[in-house]
Amino acid sequence: MKRRVVVTACSAITPIGYGKNDIIAALKLGKSGVKPLRDDGLLTGHIHSRVFGTVDYPIEYGFKRQYTKTMGPVAFYACRVAKDVLEQSGLDQEFITSGRLGVAFGSTHGSPTVQRNIYKTFFNNLEEEFSSIGAVDYLRSMVHTTAVNITRMFGITGRVIASSTACTTSSQAIGFGYEMVKYGMQDAMICGGADEYDTTTVAVFDNLLACSVDFNDRPECTPRPFDTKRDGLVVGEGGGAVLLEEYESAKRRGANILAEVIGFGCNNNGGDLILPNLDGITATLRLALKDAGITPEQVDVISAHATATKMGDVIEAQAIDAVYGDGPLVTGLKSYMGHTMGTCGVIELTLMLYMMEQGFVAPTLNLETVDPRCAMLNHAREIRVGDINIAAMQNFAFGGVNTCLLLQNGRQTTA
Amino acid sequence: MTRDELQEKIFAVLTEDFEFDKPGLDDNLRDDHGFDSIDAIELLGKIELMLGFSLSREEKEKAMGIRTINDILDYIERIQSAHQS
Repeated sequence: MKRRVVVTACSAITPIGYGKNDIIAALKLGKSGVKPLRDDGLLTGHIHSRVFGTVDYPIEYGFKRQYTKTMGPVAFYACRVAKDVLEQSGLDQEFITSGRLGVAFGSTHGSPTVQRNIYKTFFNNLEEEFSSIGAVDYLRSMVHTTAVNITRMFGITGRVIASSTACTTSSQAIGFGYEMVKYGMQDAMICGGADEYDTTTVAVFDNLLACSVDFNDRPECTPRPFDTKRDGLVVGEGGGAVLLEEYESAKRRGANILAEVIGFGCNNNGGDLILPNLDGITATLRLALKDAGITPEQVDVISAHATATKMGDVIEAQAIDAVYGDGPLVTGLKSYMGHTMGTCGVIELTLMLYMMEQGFVAPTLNLETVDPRCAMLNHAREIRVGDINIAAMQNFAFGGVNTCLLLQNGRQTTA
Repeated sequence: MTRDELQEKIFAVLTEDFEFDKPGLDDNLRDDHGFDSIDAIELLGKIELMLGFSLSREEKEKAMGIRTINDILDYIERIQSAHQS
């Protein structure tokens, strides 16, 4: 059984805003969400990079303690965007709790804030607080905390897939959710990811010399995907969710079809866990095209992973060139908010859904002089107005995991 | 700690930390206030802090029969007297 899969709702909490209006405004104005790194009282003083893609605006959660008692900050993001997509979708409670709706949701490593508090208790020898380290802290910090707090809050009884593959966490979640619905295992899936403010991730990339440090005094000028002056990634935070549904039932109930997921490619480099791999990435892009049954010429826009690391952007440019040449417009959306880690795939996909609906492509921010090694592509240098029919969403992760999702504009699907 | 002092402290914990609305001494914790196994574990941690010593596993297991706020007070009194004797 192969069924068509459509996106009928989306929501994202990002460093450039929460919700469609704020995000579109930021994209059109070229507004960056990169801010100075906050002092965490632990690692900040040791880190060279002083920038972070920060969610610094208040968010109205309104969750009862009954639910929040098992939630760290990462689950607040996850449950908020999951609530948004369920409300947008108009799905009734009977379906939500029927077992036909599942959840594919993840984070890079659960809640580091909660984990940090546990370590602080131990390292400070606070004997009287040992008893407070227990089941609740585990539930708040465990790696599948986002997925199961969503099921708990909304009474979802279908399958749970808790991907945790660093930067491909949420793109895998969407891909695996797509396959669940496509092959009839579930009729709908809430898919996405979240990651909270965390300096341990910054420290890791900083030690690998992969973090941006040259623009500490001008955070909005970094990251700079494909630019000659790029000097590394900027870690960020956020959350995002999409609702995937089987096309016929979505059409029957009059759902708003934003896009159709027409293809998913996913593989592993089978070797080095850090370095980008041209063969692996190229193969992923081709796997997605094959799954969708389309040719490279049919793709209008590519949302590149484009973290702004020195080698990553070059390898990705070579892979795009090998598969697509200079046909599709290429944009690097991390330039607006940094690398939101496990949530970057779903945030970038949500931004693409907004751009599909509005008919524009946001340019890669801070791309002033294209690196000659990346110059063979058709880079988006300014806002391009026009219909997007098919978009490719590319994400690659530590561990050698690569993903590519292909989206078709909902107007095409329903035409 | 007298029973009245205990009651005052437990009411404060239940209203502030567990968001109980107008708790009554004989309310059923689960049915009237949605108190569950996770809350029970968290409450035991707070009782330990209140008493100033750690509860043994056996003492914690005895708490599993608690159904009302009066039961909580009885439980703490029994623990206190056992540790004093």
